[in-house]
Amino acid sequence: MKNLLQGTTKADKVLISVLIVVSLSGIFFMQEVMPKRRTVLIEVDGRPLYVLPLGRDRIVEVEGSRGKTIIELKQEMARVKDSPCPTKQCVKQGWTGHGVIVCLPNKVVITVGNDNDDVHTVADAITR
Amino acid sequence: MDTVITISVASHSKGHAEQAIDSAFSEIKRLEALFDFYSPDSEVSRINRHAGLSRVTVSPDMLTVLERASFVSKETGGAFDITTGALLVLYDFYHGIKPQQRAIEKHLPLVNYKAVHIDKKDTSVFLEKTGMLIDLGGIVKGYAADRAVETLKRAGIRSGLVAVAGDIKAFGLKPNEKPWKVGIKDPRAEGNDDTIATLDLKDMAISTSGDYERHFILEGERYHHLLSPATGYPAQTCQSVSIIAEEGALADAFATGIFILGPETGIKVIEKMGFGGLIIDKEGTIHVTSNIREKIEIEKPLTRDNKS
Repeated sequence: MKNLLQGTTKADKVLISVLIVVSLSGIFFMQEVMPKRRTVLIEVDGRPLYVLPLGRDRIVEVEGSRGKTIIELKQEMARVKDSPCPTKQCVKQGWTGHGVIVCLPNKVVITVGNDNDDVHTVADAITR
Repeated sequence: MDTVITISVASHSKGHAEQAIDSAFSEIKRLEALFDFYSPDSEVSRINRHAGLSRVTVSPDMLTVLERASFVSKETGGAFDITTGALLVLYDFYHGIKPQQRAIEKHLPLVNYKAVHIDKKDTSVFLEKTGMLIDLGGIVKGYAADRAVETLKRAGIRSGLVAVAGDIKAFGLKPNEKPWKVGIKDPRAEGNDDTIATLDLKDMAISTSGDYERHFILEGERYHHLLSPATGYPAQTCQSVSIIAEEGALADAFATGIFILGPETGIKVIEKMGFGGLIIDKEGTIHVTSNIREKIEIEKPLTRDNKS
């Protein structure tokens, strides 16, 4: 880093700093202006039970092999509120905004921020 | 066909797209004139009028549809049966009137798909008994979707979706390079556009048979148009059945047949045929064949008690 900065003038450093700020603010700008549709996928024993938009706060209960896992969605985050498993690792993991919460004993997998952009698009047609 | 038909196509030219859509609509209209159960001038009415009397020479389309229907009847052990027309006329879905048990018993002997004799050689059909009525309502919408897609393809269209009511066939990819997306109606939702699941459809057809289509509720019982050929009463073990197959006519007819067979035997038949299927049983439990489990997006809880 030191070598890299050797031979640069003060103006260069200002320019680099400005460029870094501009590009970073661009990321924030894009995130603010174009929020992605984010979802939570809840699977029990390998089978998808729910695909829910992350935008709405709610509590979901699913029945695993050991009993009821209670999942809470709030402010674009998800957590396991209660679980029948012995160690409660999933509960201890707390709030997750992006990633996976796994409860092995109760075979519950929660994938947060599943940014599959086609998940909740309106269907082209409906079979009825 | 007393129903909403939508045709969507992707094309570089609006004129070309409109031309292709027009010819596809004309094709559906042509088929409607052949298959309309309620029109006295249709080919199907002509066959019905000659029931027990004489053979009727029919169009190649009629021959194809009758052969497909017979195939589905065999594969569903007679659960799909076009001769239930003789029972269907006993119900008044518009005014909510069910037939007397006596009337059903009287008409049941007229129901038997094996009594429809198809002669491929001289392209003719004969219904064995006087009073028999064939109703092709459980297969022609899917067949019409097949024919409309063929028409679009012949007109040079490479991507499109045809929906004859709920019988849908899609081919090619949309301009965004994604497959056409189809929703499956939630059978117990009030809104007609409320879906319970969605899936991508490419070069495939999907059809759904549900107990919410033509129905009425009398003394707490739901009477709908999917009649069991064995009892003459509406089949009660499913809310809806969706079938995914390459051929729309088969998807349509199997959806009806599997609805009548019920979820347990139904899933086995769908898997044996190599189709994809989603069955919502009377409790609301969703059963999905293994081949589409990864491809289908369920929007609501799959099951109430987490079994399937």
